[in-house]
This record gives sequence, structure tokens and C-alpha cells, in this order.
Amino acid sequence: MSTGAKKRIMREYGECMSDTPPGMKITFDEQNMTEWEILLDGPEQSVYAGGHFKLKLTFPNEYPFKPPVVSFKTKIYHPNVSNDDKGSMCLGLLRPEEWKPPNKVVAVLRLIQTLLIEPNPDDAIEPSIANEYKENRKEFDKTAKDWVKRYAK
Amino acid sequence: MTAQGVGIFTIEFPDPYTLSYYNDEFVTLGSNISFQYPITSNIQTLSAKDVERGNDPYGILYVPELRSDGCKEAEGSYVPTNATRLRNLPSGTDYALIGFLPWFSPQCVLEYFQSARTSPVKALLVYQPGTTNAPPPGNNDPSWSLGDGGNWEDANKFPVYALSSTSGTIVMTQLSLYSGNMTDAPHGDELASLFSPTDYVRLWATVNTQAGSQLPSLWVFLVIVLGLLLLIIFVTSSFMHIVQRRRRRDLQRRVVEGEVDLEALGVKRLTVPREYLEKLPLYTYSVPGGDLEKTVPQESPQPRDGAPETTEQATPAPGVPTAQNDATVSNQASSAFSQPTCPICLDDFISNETQVRELPCRHIFHPDCVDTFLLSNSSLCPMCKKSVLPGGYCPAKITNIMVRRERMIRRMRARGESESIEPTGQRTGGPVSLRDRLASTAFGRRVFGSPEQTQSGPNDIEMASPETAQPQASGALPAPAPATEITPAPDLAHTRSQAAPECTEPETRNRREWARQRALALVSNSRAPATDDEGNSGSRWRRGLRKVFPGFR
Repeated sequence: MSTGAKKRIMREYGECMSDTPPGMKITFDEQNMTEWEILLDGPEQSVYAGGHFKLKLTFPNEYPFKPPVVSFKTKIYHPNVSNDDKGSMCLGLLRPEEWKPPNKVVAVLRLIQTLLIEPNPDDAIEPSIANEYKENRKEFDKTAKDWVKRYAK
Repeated sequence: MTAQGVGIFTIEFPDPYTLSYYNDEFVTLGSNISFQYPITSNIQTLSAKDVERGNDPYGILYVPELRSDGCKEAEGSYVPTNATRLRNLPSGTDYALIGFLPWFSPQCVLEYFQSARTSPVKALLVYQPGTTNAPPPGNNDPSWSLGDGGNWEDANKFPVYALSSTSGTIVMTQLSLYSGNMTDAPHGDELASLFSPTDYVRLWATVNTQAGSQLPSLWVFLVIVLGLLLLIIFVTSSFMHIVQRRRRRDLQRRVVEGEVDLEALGVKRLTVPREYLEKLPLYTYSVPGGDLEKTVPQESPQPRDGAPETTEQATPAPGVPTAQNDATVSNQASSAFSQPTCPICLDDFISNETQVRELPCRHIFHPDCVDTFLLSNSSLCPMCKKSVLPGGYCPAKITNIMVRRERMIRRMRARGESESIEPTGQRTGGPVSLRDRLASTAFGRRVFGSPEQTQSGPNDIEMASPETAQPQASGALPAPAPATEITPAPDLAHTRSQAAPECTEPETRNRREWARQRALALVSNSRAPATDDEGNSGSRWRRGLRKVFPGFR
């Protein structure tokens, strides 16, 4: 990783610190600054309220030419988060073809928060959950809340 | 078996009465002190009777006896009186013998044969008396006729070979020299000092009937089969090479004509060559004129009126060559994007101080930030993904892997299009073809497993304002069109499954369908591989196979 990229990550970390979105805690390791650990509280107005989700934000070597990789370490029932041990997310500005270098990590974190409040079933990574979200919202809410209780307490 | 050569040597062997020894215990004398005469040409096989492979005739040379007085008399003019006869050999021992005789009259030759048959003769060497060194006449020549209709061949239990006249005369002369005591022979004193003087020194002949390299038929067969296989491989290989070369040229032509954009298609990740990068404008950033107050008020450390001059004094950085003159610099500077910060490092540009690199799409960056990226990672603008390279730029070498990728993508596209036109058919009921399934699993894995491997698509032009889009229009090629055609498809699938009252069954197919559609969309956007990594992957024999059969999957 180039010094420019490191400089940029440091700078973004500073920005995140001064302007952390509410309900978020960022852990940053000086030794390995390309991996951030984020503790995210489920937004109050969402079905994930009360849950605490652990996320990992990995900066690729080509950052900022390539987007950071977001993965949920805590299991979550969400159409946009892959339902496996990776918990990966790939949508919106996280998508490599849509990522632009000027995008910032803060924007990524905000996007994740927004998605918890309002999932995007049309761009889902888990089509079955997306289907349920669209057609059987009650069932979806129930399962999501159940999973929060089970995994995200 | 025809004779290939006849070797005449001098041998030395002890008297069986003074020493017990085996028949074949003898010493071949060197050519310096004895007679040696290899004959490799001008040998005619008159009769090859009873000669088997690997059983070459050999024996001590002698002249058979004649019976009739007439022949004995006639023989005198051809055979010296002291030529080696049977009586000159130790008696009572069955030596392997080779008869040597002049073919001078049919009657006498028959008598020779008769006499030879009574001795352990392995073969006969004959010659027609004369002085010519020409090859002996052919088998059917009348001079070989003995007037018995060829019966002699059957009567003899040994083969008969003919030498040329001169060879025969030479050997006959020598035969008379090596018939008596050792001391009477040429170099007799020398020989006597080496061996016991009672030993015999005689001429010996071997006939080589080995016909060069006659291979057993099974081996011949194997060799032929192997040769055919090699031929087939060679023909196929060269055919594939030719086809592949045509495809490479075709792709190169289309790239040059701007029909295909290798990077946008994800066929090959291009990089910008240094000499081309250095031609891109590099100038000192200055706050753009008009909308300064509105857009970036905090950005200008200098008052506004400084702007016109600074554009004039835009100077290339020392040591960095720039191709354009001042006029173009100011021209481009005024029309550039009003980007106050470098999108890569997020640092602000400082007016009249910061050197910026402008790409053809008018995006500006710190040269430090963007140059290494363009040199080693991509040829696309990091902001708008428009190619920095001029239209029709072709990498020096179109490789087979690039050809294969391009064809695969074209095929995928064609299928995606035909299916979006005709969404019914196989999709609703019929079994999904193996090809489809393979494609979907292969790409499905890529989609789910490692999303970070995919990157950079061309169909993002929102950043490019209309007036910037036109100068390098060749960068955005037909590539985005099919992708946009494909993307609505998952929605289509969704609405259909909604229409169906029970959607548990189509569920799995839906997912597969969705994965496939997504894969199709991704193909155009997938990260173009930087190197021909596929060419170096796989085991060594696979690589070899690919080299021999290019275009082989």
C-alpha cells in the first residue's frame, strides 16, 4: 500500500472521529490501519433496534481506487447482506464499478445505517430474503427481530 | 539375404596337434603385418541359400579341389599352384570354411561345387577372371549360367557370392601367399617372433548379410502409428495456430477501428504507457474564473483578479516534460472542471502552486496521485471511468487469452440479448441446459464469493458532463448498451414470480436466474485482468497444451 493511501486513510479516520455518525463506534489499530472494526447499534426506527452489530471494514491495497470491503461479523437477516460467514455487502457505492475515489468512509457508514433502516430489495444479494421483504413484510420483520435477539445481543 | 560386405582377414591359429583348442580360437592379425581386405561394394549375391538372419557365414578361405584332369589343367591359369587348399589346413578338424574359386567354365564350377559340398563349407565366394573392377554381372546374366537350369542353387547347401574380377584376383594371389609355413608368409619373420612358428597363418572371410537396419514389423507398425499421431497433432496445432492468429488480427483490427474497447469489456486491463502519460497536460492549478465565489470560496488564498495572469504563467514543473504549449495550457485550464480537491488524496489544490494532471475527460489530479495508478493499474479515469488512451489505441500484443475472453463476452452478450428478447421458452419450464448451469454456477461463485474482485465498469457517465463527453467519445463504446438491456431482467423475473400464486418452486430457479443476470451485468463490469494470468495458471502440461493448441479451453 502506498504512502498516499495510508495518508488518506489516516485523514479519513480523523474525519470519522470528529464526525462519527451516531450509534457507531470505530476501533482502529495503528499497526494495521487497513482494517477497521466498527460496532454499530441497530437504528431505533428499524427492526434491528437493540442489536449491536460488529462490522469489518477492509481497505484494499488499491484504495482509494477500489472501494473498502464491508462485512458483517454479526449475523443479520437482511436482503443486502450475504447470509453466510462472510456477511459481505455489495451494493450502491460499495460496488467496484460505482465506487469513485472521492467517496469517503463516512459515506459508506451512513449508507450502511440507511440500509438497516430501509433495505433495498431490488439490489439484493439474498433474493429469498428480498422476496420475503417485499411480499411478506410481517414474516420478514419477525425473523429479523428474532435474529437480532439470537445473534446481536 | 544379400551380402552387404565381405571382410577378408589373416588369422593365426595353433596346430591342433600341438595344442588342444577350440575351433574358433584364433588371432586376427593387424593390417600392418598381414593382409586385410574389406570389400563393401561390387558384391553380387548369386544364391542366398540357408542364410538366416544373424547367422553370417564365415570361415577359412580355401580353393576346393577339382576332379577331372581337364579342369585341373584349365584351373592352372587362374589359380596359383600354392593357393590354400584343404590339405594346407590341419586335418582331422572340422573348420568352418569358405570356398574361393574362379568361375571359368560351367563344367569346372560344377566340379568345384561338388567338392565343396563334401566339406563344412559355409559359403562360396566366386569371381569371373578378368581385370575389370566393375560390379559382377547380375544374377540373370548368361555368364553365370551353368547349363543345368539353376539346379546347382538347390544342390548347394550354402550361399554363393560373386566378387568383382580385380577383388577376386587380389584375394587369389594372397591365398597363395598364406598357404604354407608361417615364415613363408609376408612379414613371416615378424610373425614368427610373435607366435610359435608351428602355428598356421591363413586367410579368413566373413560375409555380412545384415541388411542395414531392417526393423521388426511390429516396431515399424508402431513407428508408423506414432508418426501418424504426430502428424495429426502437428496439423491440428498449426491449424489452430492459424485460426488463432486470424482471430488475433481480427481483434486487433476491431480494436484499432474502435469497435472494441478492451478495458471497458474487461478483456484486458490496459495501462497508460509513460510516453503517452507525459503528453497529458500538466499545469499549475489556478482557481477557475467565473463561479469562484459560489463553488469554492475558501479555496482561493489569492484574490480573484490574479487568475488571468496565473493561467498565463503556467509553467511546466522542472524536470517534467510537457508536450503542449502555453496556449493550450491556458485554454484547458479555463475549461477544466472546477475541482477544488484531489479526489484521490482529498487534499485541496492550492491555486498557483499545485501541479495538476488533467486527463482527457477534464478531471484533474495530483500527478503523484494519479500517475502511478495510470502507469500500473488502469487506463481509465478513476472518476468517470473514461479511457485516458486515445480511441483505437491497441496494446502492442493481442494475446490468445484476450481473444478468448473477448469471444466469451461476446457470446454471453449475444445469449443475454436473445433471452431478454424472448424471455419465455426454456426459462419457464424446460430443463436448464448444462451450459447455462455451468455458466451460472461459475459466475454465481464469482458474484457471491469474492465481490471485491470485480471492479470498474464503463457504464458510469453521470460524472461526465455533456461537453466533456464529446471529445473522447470513442472511449465509451457500444459496451454499455447491452448491460442496460440486461439489468431490468431481474425485475422482470420478480414480477413474474409475484404473479404466480405459489412461489416456492420457482424460488431456486429465480435465484439462479438472478445470479445469471447479475453475472451478465458483471461481465461488462468485471475487473479487467491486469496480466494474462490465466496463461500462467495451471500445471505445466496444461500450459504446454495451450501453447500447442491455442484456443483450446
